[in-house]
Amino acid sequence: MPFISKIERQTDYNLFDSSIPIVIDNGASYFRIGWAGETEPRVVFRNIVQRPRLKATGETVTIVGDHDPALLKYFDCTRSGPRSAFDSNVVYQFEIMEYILDFAFDRLGATGSKIDHPILITECVCNPVQSRSKMGELLFQTYGVPSIAFGVDAAFSYKYNQQRGVCDKDGLAMCPGFNTTHVIPFVDGEPIYKGSCRSNIGGFHVTDYLKQLLSLKYPYHMARFTWEKVEDLKMEHCYIAPDYLSEAQLFQQGAKEAEEKTRMWQLPWVPPPTEEPPSEEEIARKAAIREKQGQRLREMAEAKRSSKINELENELHGLEFLLNQLAHVQESNVPSFLAETGYVSRQEIESARSKVVQSLRKAKGESKSDQAEIEKADSATNEKYSLINIPDDMLTADQLVEKRKQLSIKSMSEGRQRLKQKRYEEGLERERKQQLEEEKRLENPELYLEQLRSRYKDLSEKIDQRKRLKTNGGSTNGNGLAGSVGRGERLNAAQRERMRLLTTAAFDRGKGEDTFGAKDEDWQLYKLMSKDNDDDDEEPDEDNTELARISSRLQLLDPTFVPKVETGSSQPAEAPRTRPLTKEDFQIVFGVERFRCPEILFSPNWIGVDQVGLDEMAGVSMRRLSCKDEKLEERLTNSILVTGGSSLFPGIIERLEAGIRMIRPCGSPIKIVRALDPVMDAWRGASAYASAPGFHTQTFTRMDYDVNGEDWLRSYQLKYSL
Amino acid sequence: MEAEIMEAELVLPNYLSFKRIQMYDKYPKGQSRGRHWKHLKQIIQAENYQNYPPDEPNYVNIESPPSMRPCKRICDITGYEAPYYDPKTNLRYANTDVFKMIRSLPNEHVQRYLAMRNAAIVLK
Repeated sequence: MPFISKIERQTDYNLFDSSIPIVIDNGASYFRIGWAGETEPRVVFRNIVQRPRLKATGETVTIVGDHDPALLKYFDCTRSGPRSAFDSNVVYQFEIMEYILDFAFDRLGATGSKIDHPILITECVCNPVQSRSKMGELLFQTYGVPSIAFGVDAAFSYKYNQQRGVCDKDGLAMCPGFNTTHVIPFVDGEPIYKGSCRSNIGGFHVTDYLKQLLSLKYPYHMARFTWEKVEDLKMEHCYIAPDYLSEAQLFQQGAKEAEEKTRMWQLPWVPPPTEEPPSEEEIARKAAIREKQGQRLREMAEAKRSSKINELENELHGLEFLLNQLAHVQESNVPSFLAETGYVSRQEIESARSKVVQSLRKAKGESKSDQAEIEKADSATNEKYSLINIPDDMLTADQLVEKRKQLSIKSMSEGRQRLKQKRYEEGLERERKQQLEEEKRLENPELYLEQLRSRYKDLSEKIDQRKRLKTNGGSTNGNGLAGSVGRGERLNAAQRERMRLLTTAAFDRGKGEDTFGAKDEDWQLYKLMSKDNDDDDEEPDEDNTELARISSRLQLLDPTFVPKVETGSSQPAEAPRTRPLTKEDFQIVFGVERFRCPEILFSPNWIGVDQVGLDEMAGVSMRRLSCKDEKLEERLTNSILVTGGSSLFPGIIERLEAGIRMIRPCGSPIKIVRALDPVMDAWRGASAYASAPGFHTQTFTRMDYDVNGEDWLRSYQLKYSL
Repeated sequence: MEAEIMEAELVLPNYLSFKRIQMYDKYPKGQSRGRHWKHLKQIIQAENYQNYPPDEPNYVNIESPPSMRPCKRICDITGYEAPYYDPKTNLRYANTDVFKMIRSLPNEHVQRYLAMRNAAIVLK
C-alpha cells in the first residue's frame, strides 16, 4: 500500500467562493491540502524539501516533495539532503514550511494576489505557542489569509469516525503517527488533553530500525537499502505478532511455520557465464593448433641453427685459410700481413679458430660437445693450471700473479662442478621420495589422504597463528590499534629482541650524556635488528611452500577438498570468496525482522527510548484522566479507535486488545476498532468540520491575534462538536 | 529539451502571485542562510511551562512516563530472546553461535548495533 503523491495542478481554484475554507493536514510524513466539504484532498505529497543546485546553471533551486529519482539527475544533490520542517512533530523551520505552502497553494491552482480563503490547518497536541504563532504569522502576513483555525489531526479523525458510528462520543483515540504516538481520551465528543499521552516513537523509527538491521546483516548490499525502499518493505511485509516471545521461539526452533513466514527478496543477480566443458572436437582442434605452433617453432629453431652452423663453418674456413697462408709467409712479414685481417699474432688466430670449432660443435649436437668439453676442460685444466703445481719460489713475479689467477679460476670451476653434482643428487632424491609416496598412496589411499589432510591443517594453523602474532591480533580484537605496540600487548620474538637491543644500547652509555651514534660501531646495532626480522621471515616461507605443495596434491587427489583462503582471519564479516557468489548471497532473508521492527511501538526500550509502549499508554491516559467515574473508564475502553499511518500493521488490533485487557479489571468490555481509513481520515474529518456552518465561530482573524496577543493564542482551543 | 520542461514543474518558481512577500525578499541572497530557527528543545525551554499551573496540559506534561514493566531483552543480532550479554562488547546474544559471530564482528558494526539501542558510548 504505498502512498502515492498527487501533485497535479488543479484548475478550478477560481470556482470556489472565498468563504469556502481550505483544509490542510500538515503531517510529518505527508502534506494534504484540499477544499472543505470534499472527501479527498486535492494535493498530497511528502512533507520534505530539497535544495539542490542545477547542474547547468549552478543556481540553487527548491524541490518540494519526493520525485522520481530519474529526473533528479539534472541536479547536483550532493549537498542537499531532504529536509523536513518538523522536529519531532512540531514545526520549527518556517522557511521550509513556507516552501511547502508555496508549492501546495501553487498546485491547488491559487491565483490572485493573496489566498482569500479561511484556512483550517492541523497541528500537534499541545503545540507550543511559539510554533503556533509563527505559523499564524506566516499565513497572515505572507499569504494574506483572512482567518485561521488550528486543530488536532487525531481529534478530527475521531470525530469523523464518530459521525460514521464507528466509535462513541466517549472513547479513546490511539494514534501512532510518523514521529510520535498519541493517546487522547474523548468525553462527550471533546478531547481532554489533560488525560492525553504522547510517546516519541512512530513509523519513522520503525523504518529506521529496519534499515539499520538490514544494513548490518547484509553489509555487502548496504547501498540497496535506501530509506524509501525500506519503507516500502515495511509497509508490505511487517506485521505485529500477538506475542513476541513465542513468535521468536518459533523462528529460533526453525519450525515449519517460521519457514512460511519468512520472506525472501531476490536482488538482481547475473550468474557468471558458465564455461561449457570443451567438446571433443574443440579439444582436438586446440591440440592440433598447438601441435602446429610447436612444429613451426621447431622449424624456426632449426633454420636458425643451420644458418648459424653455416656462418661458423664459413668463419672456420676463413681462419684455416688464413693460418695456411700464414704458414707460407715468412716470420718478418707476419705483422704486416696480419694487419689487414685484424689479428695481431698467430696465437690469436689459433685461439679464435678453436673457439669457432667449439661453438660449431655445440650448434651441431649438444651431447657430443658436452663430452668434448669435459674432456677439453680436463685437458685444459692441466695446461691452464700448469703453474699451480710448481712451487712458488721457482716462479717469477709475473708468473706468481698468473698462478694466483689460475688458483682462483680452478677453485671457482670446482665449486661449480660440486654444485652441479649436488643438484643432480637432490633431483634424484626428490624422485625417489615421490616414488615412495606414490607407492604409499597406491597401497592405502584413505590413510594417505588422511595424513595429507591433517598435515595441511596443522601447517595452516601454524601459519595463521604466526600471522596473528605478527599483527598482534589487531583486527580481530577490535581494539583499533593497528600494528603499533602499546603497553601490555604481546610482542613477538623479533620485536622483543629489538626492544632488548635498543634498551641495552641506551643503558650501555653512562648516565649523563647520550653518546649513542658517536662511534660508528653503534650503528651495527641496527644491522643486528633487521637480521632478526629476516630470520623470522624466512621460516614461514618454507612452511608456505610446503602448504602450497600439499594443497595442490590434495586438490588433485581429493574431490572434496577446498583450499583455505589466506585472508581468513582478517575479513570474517565478508562472505568467503573461495567460491563464486551464488544466487543465495543475493537473497535478503526477512524472518524475524518482520515482526521485530513494529514491536518497538510496544516496547520503545529496544530503541533506547525510555517511555511506555502503545498498550500501556492507554492505562497511563486513563490514570491521568483521574475520573472517579468507573463507568466512564468502561465507556472509554468500549470505544477505542486506532488511527494514524502506523496503525496499518496487521495484527495491531489483537495485540492492543491483549495488552489493554492486562491492565483492566477482568471482564470489563474492550472494543478496539481501526478507523475507516487511518491515513486519510484526519483530513476528511477536518474537511467535514470546516464545511459545518459553525466553523467560522472557531477561527480567528489577524485582528484577533494582534489585539489579544500571544497569551490568548496559547489558550485557543478548537471546539470539536459543532 | 523535454526533460527540462518537466523540471520546470519540479522546481518551485521564484515568483508566486498569491504571496505578499516573495521568498527572495524575505531571505535575500548573500545573507547567512544558517537559519537560527530554534530547535524543539529551545522552543520548549523558551515556553517557560513552569510559570503556568501544572494542571494545564502543555507539550511537556503530556509526555509519557517510563515503562513500569520489566524490559524484554532480545538479542541484538537475531531478535530472539537473549538472557545473556557479552561484557566486552555489551551486546546481547541468544546462544553460542551468535556469540561466535559477535566476537568476529568488526568494531564498527558493534558500535552500530549498540547505537540502535542507544547504548553506544559516544566520545566527542
